[in-house]
Amino acid sequence: MVSRSKIKELMNESACSHSKEKKPGEGCDKPKPGLATGGCAFDGAQISLFPYADAVHLVHGPQTCLGASWETRETKTSYTGRDHTQMGFTTGINTNDVIFGGDKRLGESIDYIMEHYRPEAIFVYSTCVTALVGDDIDMTCKLGSEKHAIPIVPVHAAGFVGSKNLGSRLAGEAVLEHLIGTKEPEFMTPYDINLIGDYNVTGDMWQYLPIFEKIGIRVLSSMSGDGRVGDIRCAHRAKLNVIVCAKSLITLTRKMQENYGIPWISVSFYGKRDTTFAIREIVNALGDPELILRAEAVIAEEEAALEEKIAPYKALFEGKKAVLNTGGNKAWSIASGLQDLGIEVVATSIAKSTQDDIDKAREYLGENGVLMKKPAAEQGKIIDQTGAHILLAGGRSLYTAIKKKISFIDVNQEKKTSYGGYNGLLNLAEDLKYAFRNPVFANVGKKAPWETE
Amino acid sequence: MEFSLSKHEHKPLQVNPIKHSQPMGATLAFLGVKDCMPLMHSAQGCASYTKVFFTRHFNEPIAINNTSVSDITAVLDGGDYSILMAIENIQNKEKNLKPSMIGLHTTGLTETKGDDVRGVGTHIEIPYVFVNTPDYEGGMESGWALTVTAMIEQLTVEATEIKSDKLVFLPHLSMQPIEVEKIKGFCEDFGFETYALPDLSTSLDGYWEAGQGKLANGGITVEQIRDLATSSVVVSIGASMKKSALALQKKNPLITHFHFDHLMGLDGCDNFVSSLMEIRQDEPKPMIKRWRARLQDAMLDTHFLIGSSHFVITGEPDMLVGMCSLINSVGGTIRAAVSTTFSDSLHLIDAEKVFVGDLEDACAFFDDADMVISNFHAERILHTTYHTALVVRGFPNYEELGNQLKNDQLYEGSTYFLFEIANELRKVKHEH
Repeated sequence: MVSRSKIKELMNESACSHSKEKKPGEGCDKPKPGLATGGCAFDGAQISLFPYADAVHLVHGPQTCLGASWETRETKTSYTGRDHTQMGFTTGINTNDVIFGGDKRLGESIDYIMEHYRPEAIFVYSTCVTALVGDDIDMTCKLGSEKHAIPIVPVHAAGFVGSKNLGSRLAGEAVLEHLIGTKEPEFMTPYDINLIGDYNVTGDMWQYLPIFEKIGIRVLSSMSGDGRVGDIRCAHRAKLNVIVCAKSLITLTRKMQENYGIPWISVSFYGKRDTTFAIREIVNALGDPELILRAEAVIAEEEAALEEKIAPYKALFEGKKAVLNTGGNKAWSIASGLQDLGIEVVATSIAKSTQDDIDKAREYLGENGVLMKKPAAEQGKIIDQTGAHILLAGGRSLYTAIKKKISFIDVNQEKKTSYGGYNGLLNLAEDLKYAFRNPVFANVGKKAPWETE
Repeated sequence: MEFSLSKHEHKPLQVNPIKHSQPMGATLAFLGVKDCMPLMHSAQGCASYTKVFFTRHFNEPIAINNTSVSDITAVLDGGDYSILMAIENIQNKEKNLKPSMIGLHTTGLTETKGDDVRGVGTHIEIPYVFVNTPDYEGGMESGWALTVTAMIEQLTVEATEIKSDKLVFLPHLSMQPIEVEKIKGFCEDFGFETYALPDLSTSLDGYWEAGQGKLANGGITVEQIRDLATSSVVVSIGASMKKSALALQKKNPLITHFHFDHLMGLDGCDNFVSSLMEIRQDEPKPMIKRWRARLQDAMLDTHFLIGSSHFVITGEPDMLVGMCSLINSVGGTIRAAVSTTFSDSLHLIDAEKVFVGDLEDACAFFDDADMVISNFHAERILHTTYHTALVVRGFPNYEELGNQLKNDQLYEGSTYFLFEIANELRKVKHEH
């Protein structure tokens, strides 16, 4: 079980920028009845660990937890074995297990998985019901681990302990406690890094990993996009932890700094400027002058190639203005990408942003950019005032776009292509091109024959 | 592994499950009541998953709230704090929100801690319906059915008279919005003032409208549910709905109950039409007769392809019963019918194997099948390993568009369904 003090510690992450503004004892998030809408801690833990395709992810709980969540994220893997990420394993406990405990079922499930699938590891997720009835998951995992001689990792992130973000932190704890530092790498280089927090959704990582390779940066392990359990066990030997667009795993990197002396930096790979900035941050942190020189050469080469490819789009998008209404880091990362393509971003939403995100949004949009606190109410007016040509938002805002007869992109929809790295910008450009060209937004809102003004 | 129909599980876990939970069925049922606020008594994740699940299936925003039970309230609260606070918080945040009803449904978490959700209702001024739907029991189909029963028991007013031309039908979980609409229209053609409980045909049928609400968009009204005991006929479709119909009969013993295990294929629909004819003492409208003739023709047109094919079908029990019957009627061989949960109605299925299982179990039969009829999750497995045709039915169908308008019921829907599977079979059979 997770102790209350550990949850408190995780919810008051000192490295989190917004923690400073809160009173002592006030956490990142406590779900308020009726108002908490996002995913739970279990959801966050799953998201952080599921991309390990060589491990089986066994959910010890009743039907909702896994039944409604498996095979819902396009996290790509290059693992050549069976891709366990896109499979669902659950003990699917019944009334008997609630009354008499589910430990026996869990133990048998582990045996079944070892007999039929032989994964490199098993992550066992506790859930609200199995946590509440007090199943001894730690012991069952320990016994299973000894019996089958593979890591069987208990993940204590039952949904009711908090939000998705806290669950990601708890997943980090499980990895730190049970995996990191349990194996030595075959060889080491001075340029070994761990990538933390990129889950390789739609292959985001593959947009920038070839560039790392050209420069000579080696990814020793990943938490957890396209990751392998064997690699994360060696993560303690890396020279640098690179957090990609994720605040939730700061606790993990801070502890790795304390335990293993590994420094960490936080970067993003959205758009041209961010990608270039990220590469510079990484090589500067590694500190090798030759590596820095090589990086500059590669950056120059990549940027030139990209500029050539985006030139026709820039011509196409000249004079176009966009309003962006989306949450979190997307509020500035997509803005950055749009600006790289020559589109003026006149407004973005800061409704769900952290202070960091708000500062970044201001930096990217400049003095005249509008930071919308209540985007649903504000965006219509701003479109009128600025003559914006496109609205990038969640599906609920589609009506605004159609009323204003401007183009629309649903940025919250499950993406099919990656917007990451230099080349991801071309995918964004393609999507924009088709959105600007599509007459549907003007056509669909036409008056019916029986409607009169 | 030996597969047979049993209430007992044949292994300790599920691998690639097809089963979904009771509270999710409850949410969907409440979404068929106009301006209802489905409120899941759960940790926030249960509701978040459910919302995404149905949003992706229907491609529509889904109105659902939850009581955000935390580790602290799980231990200290008996339910009244989190439920009442949730309602208060939601209404403070959305001043203009006027729910017609609160549809409270529990989960494994809140059932384990044993909250008194009935008692909480006495403190709520809005009409309130509660249903106990732990997700460690039953499945989505039973959650839907329990919710319908709860609405009837808690809302419908007892009556001593009936209106001879008023009919209510109770669709099972797996019926898509257009199917409910078609059955409604069918009964209306026989001269009935017709109600469906729940009624997804006007809430999740996918229609363009200004401003998407934070409550269920359409559906049967609370007033109409209150008045249901004046119906002369209640029709339950699917074995899971039988108990709900009996609950309505308790409100007024004068109500006649007709039960149909399904409305697919010539037999299923003929039974239904015979009953309607008997009550109304009238012939069906010409279009109904025309569609029956078209179905007859479709059966003959497709019998060669389907009659020489082998099927694996997975899904909720009531859907399986109808689908297997239709495929059997044109000579198709069903290698395996894999059900999400146990139901007595599974005994009605004529297949080489009928059992409760998951997609890992179903895979054992894929090699011998020309076609698999299953949910979204079968797609990746089939595309990477097997060369079998796939028709996606049941929950969830995350990727295909227009799921709300897929119609497999009655003469008309059965006709389209036969053509669809025959055409998909043609693609794989010609490759060989």
